[in-house]
Amino acid sequence: MSIAVSTIASAVARADDAMRGLEQVLNDADAKLGDGDTGGMLARVIGKMAEVDLTSAADPGVALMQLAKAATIATGSSLGTLFATGLLAAGREAKGRETIVAGDLSGLVATARDAMIARGGAALGDKTVLDSLDAVAEALKGVKTPGEAAKAAAKAAADALDAFRNRPNRIGRARMFGDQTIGIDDPGMLAIKELSAALAG
Amino acid sequence: MKKLMNKPSGFVDEMLEGLVAANPSLALSGETGRVVHRAKPIRSGKVGVVSGGGSGHLPLFTGYVGEGLLDSCSIGNVFEGPTVGSCMEAIRIANGSQGVLRLYGNYGGDRMNFDMAGEMLEDEGIRTTTVVGNDDVASAGPAERHKRRGVAGIIYAYKAAGALAETGADLDAVTAIAQKTVDRTRTIGVALSPCQVPGSDKPSFTLGENEIEMGMGIHGEPGIWRDTLREADAIADEMIERLLADKPEGAGQRASILVNSLGATPLEELFILYRRARGKLEAAGIEIVQPLVGHYATSMEMAGASISLCFVDEEIEALLAAPAHCPFWTVSA
Repeated sequence: MSIAVSTIASAVARADDAMRGLEQVLNDADAKLGDGDTGGMLARVIGKMAEVDLTSAADPGVALMQLAKAATIATGSSLGTLFATGLLAAGREAKGRETIVAGDLSGLVATARDAMIARGGAALGDKTVLDSLDAVAEALKGVKTPGEAAKAAAKAAADALDAFRNRPNRIGRARMFGDQTIGIDDPGMLAIKELSAALAG
Repeated sequence: MKKLMNKPSGFVDEMLEGLVAANPSLALSGETGRVVHRAKPIRSGKVGVVSGGGSGHLPLFTGYVGEGLLDSCSIGNVFEGPTVGSCMEAIRIANGSQGVLRLYGNYGGDRMNFDMAGEMLEDEGIRTTTVVGNDDVASAGPAERHKRRGVAGIIYAYKAAGALAETGADLDAVTAIAQKTVDRTRTIGVALSPCQVPGSDKPSFTLGENEIEMGMGIHGEPGIWRDTLREADAIADEMIERLLADKPEGAGQRASILVNSLGATPLEELFILYRRARGKLEAAGIEIVQPLVGHYATSMEMAGASISLCFVDEEIEALLAAPAHCPFWTVSA
């Protein structure tokens, strides 16, 4: 079973729906350390992505690149730009392949993760969205079907959030709060957990 | 803090609408509505010079769009980076087929967004280069100059790169002069009272009634020391001493000086600082060329001042003196 442009379009639509319930949750999580706009920002970014008509996209890679371009219109925040960076990198890697299969997903998530590390300068272990993606890339190794992939990703993202909760944030604005961030969920990691849970249905 | 505004959410867009309405040489466009550019389209064959950053610093950044200066500018919300999309639009508008220099202050978010915009535009065949302003000597030591933030001194790089671009120089030459000007510019600020982001319920930072902070950043980033207010001459002396202690490699005995208000500090106080700074520089054997005193890079109602020195060589000095015109800075031939 493969992942087509239409699979990507329906995943974006589901994420867009899920953001209606998540926006406030993520804003509240961000307000503990930052300015409380993570939910609103992601809702804008995913909303813009949902407006894109992907039917003319030649292949899944091109679709991901079109989504990345849409995301860049809606954000000036670091998390939003990183998100678009990851989509663009994965799209560039997949471009030209008519379909992608579940077994390709681990590599594509890893590509996104590495591009985001290069762009943002954060490292694994800093308690950011990168740690969630790293866990997801690992969990996706060897999955056989898109359904299996969605479940594995959701579990990995939830486990990563739990594993990092009692560690300090080491980068960005949250870093200034040092050990006060222990016990507090990183809003970006929380977003990955909730969105992947929504996609796994 | 009292502000003349309507809804905080409209603060930036309404400000931009007024800015371009008051200055017919400027135009506002783009899908994002956050790109200010020259009303006249770029001359084909001219290298474009683009900047951008958060709102709340006028005349920086959008106010420097004009002949002999910037071609276009992307602008974000107050103290937030411009979106990648607006950076892309600003670069496209400034592209006269000879490539575009991205010239902006050294902040993580701005770097990410301009880098990503440039990468995406490679697909459209637009060549871009980057120079980041990092003149704030208080934000990192000389060995870590690449980590320093960009503040008021970036206007010297705007002026030099903008003037050279008008002569028809190519992208490599325009990039090189911007880099050389950044490398020869140093700034230090002193904060007297804070500012507040529209819609926020508290100031961006706090300072005691009689307290000042030497070296504080334009968004309230921590500086070098915080202590009670002292006389203007003592403050000017320390600022000049710190700048001269950080004199760039290859600097000669000629420098332009910019005494800049952070917003609320009046011209009267700037001239009191300038008077002392000038004497101190002359005593150090430095000849001042083209002094600038006024509001060039602010943080809304923040009180305080910054002093920048641009150690000129013949090339930079000539470019600073070349004609230029934007709403807040005119140099006549």
